[in-house]
Amino acid sequence: MSVFAAILLGLAMGAAFGFLLEKARVFEPAVILGQFQFRSFLMLRVFLAGVAAGLVVLAVMTGFGWAKLSPKALLPMADIAGGLVLGVGIALAGACPGTVLAQIGAGYKDAWFTLAGGILGALAFTYAEPTLRPVLDMAGQGKLTLDVVTGTPFWMLALGFAAVLVAALVGLERWRPWREEIGAEADGLLPPHPAAPPAAAVPAE
Amino acid sequence: MPRLTDKAWSPYLAGALIGLLQIPAFLFLGTALGASSSFVTAGASLAEFLDPGIRGIRYAAAHLDGAKNWWQVALVIGVAIGAFASSRLSGAVRRGVAPVWQRATGLGRGGRFAMAFAAGFLMLLGARIADGCTSGHGLSGMAQLSLGSFAAVAAMFAGGILTATLLFRPVR
Repeated sequence: MSVFAAILLGLAMGAAFGFLLEKARVFEPAVILGQFQFRSFLMLRVFLAGVAAGLVVLAVMTGFGWAKLSPKALLPMADIAGGLVLGVGIALAGACPGTVLAQIGAGYKDAWFTLAGGILGALAFTYAEPTLRPVLDMAGQGKLTLDVVTGTPFWMLALGFAAVLVAALVGLERWRPWREEIGAEADGLLPPHPAAPPAAAVPAE
Repeated sequence: MPRLTDKAWSPYLAGALIGLLQIPAFLFLGTALGASSSFVTAGASLAEFLDPGIRGIRYAAAHLDGAKNWWQVALVIGVAIGAFASSRLSGAVRRGVAPVWQRATGLGRGGRFAMAFAAGFLMLLGARIADGCTSGHGLSGMAQLSLGSFAAVAAMFAGGILTATLLFRPVR
């Protein structure tokens, strides 16, 4: 595919992605913070639904030979250290590397600073990468996936895992419907829990 | 039926439709959805104006050219366009800084801008160390049953939960 065609495809796919992120409200900082404080579960709902659909898509596509998987290598050092730093960054940003662009599109001004910091962070890593590489690759295990490790066909595990995720989401929805987490301004910011009235304020009757 | 003018769609529907975006990614580019390596392409391309020698770093050179790299840059620009369109259609247009930041941190506008810059730096530093973010490891890695992605996502949630509970006031 030519670079020009790839850019056009990227813009079209990105526009759909951004539209859906906005409709899902998962780009809202209050949704991210709420998830990490276990006060809102919108992020998990969107994320697990996305993983479940991806599992089904890839089970079908690889099953019919239309696609080949391209998983990343298992690098314990890099995955855990990088994941931790990434998680700290996501909490402080109230965004992920993808949703920061959705914040910009929706109008949040601080997202421009997140974007600038992100480009600088990626550049800093680029300059440090040759030095860091031996540490990051330490105990590297290659492209290990659950189907390979367990010797089970990918499509079977993928469909099974998708079913588990769907069941978990059904349970989550029964426990608390998603609409309760959207908020009056659709920004995921919910009113503070009503404080218990102080004992003295309760009439003696 | 969800309408284009709705402010919120079912997160399950929106999430599942996002998952379907793996179809064109695998079909046309032979790759999965991802976002964070586009920051390397953008950063290294900008840096090349000042430091042409950056091409000498193999990691930079691997991100500077080619259809896959610029597809992903276009993808994240498209995300901004799509969110812009959706928010204008529904009237959920955002201005300034989300009110949750005042509640969680007590910071004013300037403080929040500084915090966002540092946050972006950490976010992409971490994502590049881990070789993926919420999209690449989260959506795509988990959908491929990659053990490294399960580890990275677990660490990401651990980092986020620790930060949000230790540093921030409760958001509700």
